Amino acid sequence: MSSSRAFTLNNRSAMDLHELSIQDTHELLASREVSAEELTRAYLERIRRLDPQIKSYVTISEELALGQAREADKRFKTGEGLTPLTGIPYSAKDSISTRGVNTTCSSKILENYKPFYDSTAIKKLKSTGAVLLGKTNMDEFGMGSSTENSGFFTTHNPWNFDHVPGGSSGGSAAAVAAGLAPFTLGEDTGGSVRMPASFCGVTGLKTTYGRVSRYGLIPLVSSFDTIGPMARSVYDVALVLEAIAGHDPRDSTSRMESVPRYSEGLKKPENLRGLRIGMPKEYFVEGLDAEVETSLRTAIRQIEGLGAEVAEVSLPHTQYAIPVYYLILFAEASSNLAKYDGVRFGLSERGGDSLMDVYLKTRETGFGPETKRRIMLGTFALSAGYYDAYYLKAQKVRTLIRQDFQSAFQTCDALITPVAPTTAFRIGEKISNPLDMYLSDVHVVAVNLAGIPALTVPCGISNGLPIGMQIIGPHLSEEMLLRIGHMYQSQTDWHTKHPPCWND
Amino acid sequence: MSQKEEIQVDEKLVREIASLARLDLTEEETATFVPQFQDILKYFSILNELDTENVPPAYLSSANKSVTREDEIEESVPTEEFLANAPQAKDDYVVIPRVHIEQ
Repeated sequence: MSSSRAFTLNNRSAMDLHELSIQDTHELLASREVSAEELTRAYLERIRRLDPQIKSYVTISEELALGQAREADKRFKTGEGLTPLTGIPYSAKDSISTRGVNTTCSSKILENYKPFYDSTAIKKLKSTGAVLLGKTNMDEFGMGSSTENSGFFTTHNPWNFDHVPGGSSGGSAAAVAAGLAPFTLGEDTGGSVRMPASFCGVTGLKTTYGRVSRYGLIPLVSSFDTIGPMARSVYDVALVLEAIAGHDPRDSTSRMESVPRYSEGLKKPENLRGLRIGMPKEYFVEGLDAEVETSLRTAIRQIEGLGAEVAEVSLPHTQYAIPVYYLILFAEASSNLAKYDGVRFGLSERGGDSLMDVYLKTRETGFGPETKRRIMLGTFALSAGYYDAYYLKAQKVRTLIRQDFQSAFQTCDALITPVAPTTAFRIGEKISNPLDMYLSDVHVVAVNLAGIPALTVPCGISNGLPIGMQIIGPHLSEEMLLRIGHMYQSQTDWHTKHPPCWND
Repeated sequence: MSQKEEIQVDEKLVREIASLARLDLTEEETATFVPQFQDILKYFSILNELDTENVPPAYLSSANKSVTREDEIEESVPTEEFLANAPQAKDDYVVIPRVHIEQ
């Protein structure tokens, strides 16, 4: 069944279902002109047709999706239990547990692992009646910035197949950018939602640490991990956020504060008068691509035009963010990945004599090189004799970095920065030098160290590749970030641009 | 170990760490890791520029203090579901090879 259908919605004729926003799709379903099942089939068909080139999905959960779509159709028929996400298809990063559906973290060590429970975020989406199309590709266990470290295959940037989609939620971002899902759940530990969102030209949100429950999210860095949505507009992101956010007794780090109706806050058109925006000077230095800088400065001027005041600020410890981030990551990841031992679940190499053989051979076979590298470095950083100089030192400098943000937020409401120094680099370009890859995270990791939220929206295109703008706020300031992003998107059209394969 | 000393990474260190991390590295992997670790650790020594004598470590990421619940019995995972993930299972047990005891 083709995804091309002619129909009119609000006097607009759209040829293809995948072009519609979440809100417009919902209206279409509510009008019963298209059923949720037809819509899901259309997306599945589009995935079958385009994804062999993009490779964003690891698992397509067709049966489950069709079952959920039929359930949604029942809701539309009776008019009961309808939510803005009912019948809306989505994908989820493969580190988010989905009951009965392979959850692999793009690692051979979990290649055939099917959780017996849903993560809270998935459970919440199920209750809205949304439809899970499948699980998306990532850097193995979230370790990477390009999705090249996937244990299975690399995802291609839909804007240019020779380029990376960013990482580690590269499959998620690519799927949304190519119209293979209206929204996705990604996960951000050190830029892993923002960077691929920026590289793929979609809108992405790194939530405040604890805003969305981590129950069922396979952990990488327990201190930094956050689940966050990506979609093609700020409004769509808000619709997803209000469905997944909230306190969860199963996640003792989840925040107690109530969840606002984020989308409601965007309905009244407002200017940004009185809003104070800071531009951290350390984020606009040499190494930043000229076109990225130009796009950012233009975008900031447009936000000024909406009434905001812009001033330069300083985050003096910015240059230390990468070593701090990576040291803590190595340490916590090495601890979190100790559970992959071939005993209770996952890959298990039983060819040897003893239990130790099971550990050694399972982990040697199951983990990719970057994962091993990070486990080793983490084990080192935590070991006796080195703990103080590396791990403890990093945690102390982390305090200084947090204090930088606290000071900046005394004079500003929000900060605006680039997301990455360049647009998406070529596949293979950075993979041979791990340190090179780490350095590309310079604009994103400090945010994770402080646990604060950051939104990324498309703000330009350079040589056919998207550029993203990052808007950072204090803890629990998602409402403000979404408002800024939404106002920006009401004045600009970068978020409506699509890759060449969009019309395929 | 002083904070100012630069760590010398060699194959022996890499093998020790690999053993702690329960990774059975090949010769090739071990050799590849040595210069990579050296570079990465050298880059990280930039943190030594900062005086953090009186700075507390940022251990707490969560806004919450100790979170507890009432000691009430709740539904747990059915054993069959749990064991369905096990590489080897028998009756209600997960099966593993014997723990090797060094003489």
